[in-house]
Amino acid sequence: MILGLHLYQIAIAVLSAVMVYKGIANYAKRETGQTLLKLIVRLIVWGGMGAVVVFPSITNILAHVIGIEGNVNAAILTGFLLIFLIIFKMFSAIEKLEQTISMLARKEALKNLPRENNPNKQ
Amino acid sequence: METKQPKVYIVIPAFNEGEIITNVIDEIKKHGFPNIIVVDDGSKDDTYEKANSVSGVTALKHKLNRGYGATVKTGVEAAKILDADVVVTFDGDGQHDPGDISGLISPIVDSGYDVVLGTRLLDTAGMPFHKIIANRVGNFFTWFLFGIWVTDSQSGFRAFSRKAIEKIETKSERYEYASEVIREIKYKKLKFKEAPIQVRYTRYSMGKAQKQSFVNGLKTLYKMVWNLIS
Repeated sequence: MILGLHLYQIAIAVLSAVMVYKGIANYAKRETGQTLLKLIVRLIVWGGMGAVVVFPSITNILAHVIGIEGNVNAAILTGFLLIFLIIFKMFSAIEKLEQTISMLARKEALKNLPRENNPNKQ
Repeated sequence: METKQPKVYIVIPAFNEGEIITNVIDEIKKHGFPNIIVVDDGSKDDTYEKANSVSGVTALKHKLNRGYGATVKTGVEAAKILDADVVVTFDGDGQHDPGDISGLISPIVDSGYDVVLGTRLLDTAGMPFHKIIANRVGNFFTWFLFGIWVTDSQSGFRAFSRKAIEKIETKSERYEYASEVIREIKYKKLKFKEAPIQVRYTRYSMGKAQKQSFVNGLKTLYKMVWNLIS
């Protein structure tokens, strides 16, 4: 244990911090599609995950509020988080691939435009 | 002094519309809009060949089917290259009435609006009940996720100024594109208004499988949420 935290807690806290940082950086750089609402959702999802892992007692409050008794097993939690992360990254990668395919299809379609100032024409 | 007429381009996204695309183009031309861009989204029928055979029409083709949003974006990019001042998006299945085009572009040309959204819900006469409900659900989620209330968030009949097409940035490839444009209107602080349009629900347009069904509606909602958190 380091600073009273288990290794898995540190790892997930770091991961959450990175995702939160990326969200804030993307928003600050005004990247396409980065809205305030999107930033808030990211802060809630990843920030919440980091908060729960560093301060597990939050789950007691949550358990009390939603009416579920008992704590969550750390191993199961970590497993779920890993699966969640993998799915999240996989969906993001698929999304990017789809966008790249569309961009190529668009470039190819626009090549046929009969126009001198067409940047897609070779 | 004679004022310069704005160059208006009509962008028609089309997927397997070979049966009707020529009629749609002819109708638009009869209403005085000769600048037409048809983007065939990888159709399996002769949509592209038929559109390309009409004189004066710019026909483009996606080699692969990429979805409604990606197809409209290709058309808008083409209109930008062709120096359009105003771009109108118009469905390729004949459900829109070209007689409404003037009503959509006049707020842009005469009053300085950036975007005019055609709305089917100011007058719902003749509109199937399930479509009214689906639209209202779409409007609610668009407002909930993107913060702008409009009466027809899923309409494909819209007009954009040059400034709007330069500013709007979308990445949605399918029907969530319609809501993404609403988000961009808010985000880019574009001046917009809604204008009533007539919709002709024919047996042909209602029979199209790829249109907004209940399942497609759920997919659209999922994509809207996904775009928020990814």
